[in-house]
Amino acid sequence: MENGIKIELKAVSKNFKKTKIIKEMDLLVNPGEFLVLLGPSGCGKSTTLRMIAGLESVSAGEVLFDGKNAQKMTSLQKNIAMVFQDYALYPNMTVSQNLEYALKVHKVEVDVRKQRINKILKTLDLIKVANNYPSQLSGGQKQRTALGRGMIKQSRLFLLDEPLSNIDVQLREKARDEIQYIHQQNQQTIIYVTHDQTEAMALGDRIAVMDNGKIQMVATPDEIYNHPRNLFVAKFIGSPQINLIAAKVNNNCLNKGKLQLVNDLKQITAYQFQEEEEIYFGIRPENIQLTAPKKEHVVGIVTQITDYGRYQQIIVEIATDLTLKVISNDTTTQVGDEVGVVFNTDKILLFDTQNGMNLN
Amino acid sequence: MSKSKTLGWHLFLIVICLIAVLPVVFMLSNSFKTLRESYHSILQLIPLHPTLSNYKTLMQEVNLFGLIWNTFFMATLVTFGKIFSSMLAASAFQYYDFRWKKTLYFIFVATIFVPFTTIMIPNYLVIAKLNLLNTVVGVVLPQLCDATGIMLFTKALEKIPASLLEVAAIDGIPRWRIFVNLLIPMLRPNIISIGAMFFINSWNEYVWPTLILKDKNSFTLPLALQNYISSEGGTNFPLAMALSSIMIVVPLVIYILFQRFILNSISSTGLK
Repeated sequence: MENGIKIELKAVSKNFKKTKIIKEMDLLVNPGEFLVLLGPSGCGKSTTLRMIAGLESVSAGEVLFDGKNAQKMTSLQKNIAMVFQDYALYPNMTVSQNLEYALKVHKVEVDVRKQRINKILKTLDLIKVANNYPSQLSGGQKQRTALGRGMIKQSRLFLLDEPLSNIDVQLREKARDEIQYIHQQNQQTIIYVTHDQTEAMALGDRIAVMDNGKIQMVATPDEIYNHPRNLFVAKFIGSPQINLIAAKVNNNCLNKGKLQLVNDLKQITAYQFQEEEEIYFGIRPENIQLTAPKKEHVVGIVTQITDYGRYQQIIVEIATDLTLKVISNDTTTQVGDEVGVVFNTDKILLFDTQNGMNLN
Repeated sequence: MSKSKTLGWHLFLIVICLIAVLPVVFMLSNSFKTLRESYHSILQLIPLHPTLSNYKTLMQEVNLFGLIWNTFFMATLVTFGKIFSSMLAASAFQYYDFRWKKTLYFIFVATIFVPFTTIMIPNYLVIAKLNLLNTVVGVVLPQLCDATGIMLFTKALEKIPASLLEVAAIDGIPRWRIFVNLLIPMLRPNIISIGAMFFINSWNEYVWPTLILKDKNSFTLPLALQNYISSEGGTNFPLAMALSSIMIVVPLVIYILFQRFILNSISSTGLK
């Protein structure tokens, strides 16, 4: 098989009547890369994918496939495979026929066709249902057939539009493994749309987080999680959500009222703050430790504990208008306990209140 | 609902059914009567002296198989033509974006409400100018397009998810292949039901063939029937009823075969 294709979006915009859905987007997807487009519903991720596929016209800008303008290429030249959220299996064809149809139309030799079909039926555990029609398949089988139909083309670009959102949670994990396996085997470029951050984190070499028709950040899952570029990314990624507190800079310290959240800002960032500047203090729930309360600590009362088995989510009330979510493995904490709150200084994130940019 | 109310409804519906069925029974019964008996007791439902003489006479007097073949041939041509043109037009309305699309669709659908009698003369003049009078083509040509079909197929296509055709487009399947391999199989129930309706309508078509066909050899069944009930051909009522009884056989068979599809289609489009 040929290697994956390089995809570039250059100042791509998409308007539906007068509404701008995509706003001058730039994006580079490297050959063989697994890129996830992640964002809340309505952010324009599916539209972006559809523009790359050529299913939507581009209002302005260019989509380039290996440097060539994709709008001028035929679907055969582009050599794309795509899996849709609703699977879009041909209802009048069996699983095997669904897999075979495009190859047959393009006159791929019978032997080659049979060989590829058998391989995919085996890989995706579809042998038993090879002669069933889509209406006779379970959700998972439909989804695997749709994946198989995309795989069989051995295309250089594989586009997946929320392919797992219609199947059970248990099956989803298995399907994720399959998709990862496909990518490792074929090394084709994959662009994968989802609103599920767990899926994005598990699958993507890089993740492009989108909101409101714009890419907010493109980076590896680790960077996205630990060094979010702005407030939106910080809030969108992570469950439970990041703790955010609006606080004021005061003499190299960060204070919320009388509480001191940071005692040495210079240790966290080289950013030059103005005195009395208001910024957001952010800390992820697992980066807070609860200890016995001491003088130098921020002190609070435990108001709620939710046991998830693997960990506990503890809500600590610091003041009437200030609560923190903490993830902890300590099972001795009780509701009503007074606790000292210690922030992991390395993991503190600071954001501009005006434009939401990360100030670390 | 109370028992008496249910009973009332049932009685009402039974009466409606009887009213609907009576003409057919009346037709069948008189087809087995002699001319004399039919004059004397036309409303007698069970013939006193049942006879097959009318059917025998018909076999001798008219080229029955010729008539059935002519009617069948034209109805089939019209049905296939209408189905094909309606599907193509509906696909265009459903899948292509072009200027004035909605207006054009509205105009097409509006033609359903134009009575045939108002376009009969212009159609006749066109056919005459094209030198197609007294030909099968002359009968069939103006019937090849039909707004009802376009509307029904557009509604049917709306139910096919766009993603199916998008997958095909991405896979580089040519448009004619999409039409033949995907749309036609997916619309099979609609094609059968709409086709059956088209066929039955065309089978019963009377006014237009009367205008166009002059040669008795190319007459259809409704035209032949005219011979027995018009002042020109005399009024041999039992003979006319026998011919009518023969005439309903084919539509009835089609209806029985495809009843499931026809009823489904009517109830799902809201076309009653």
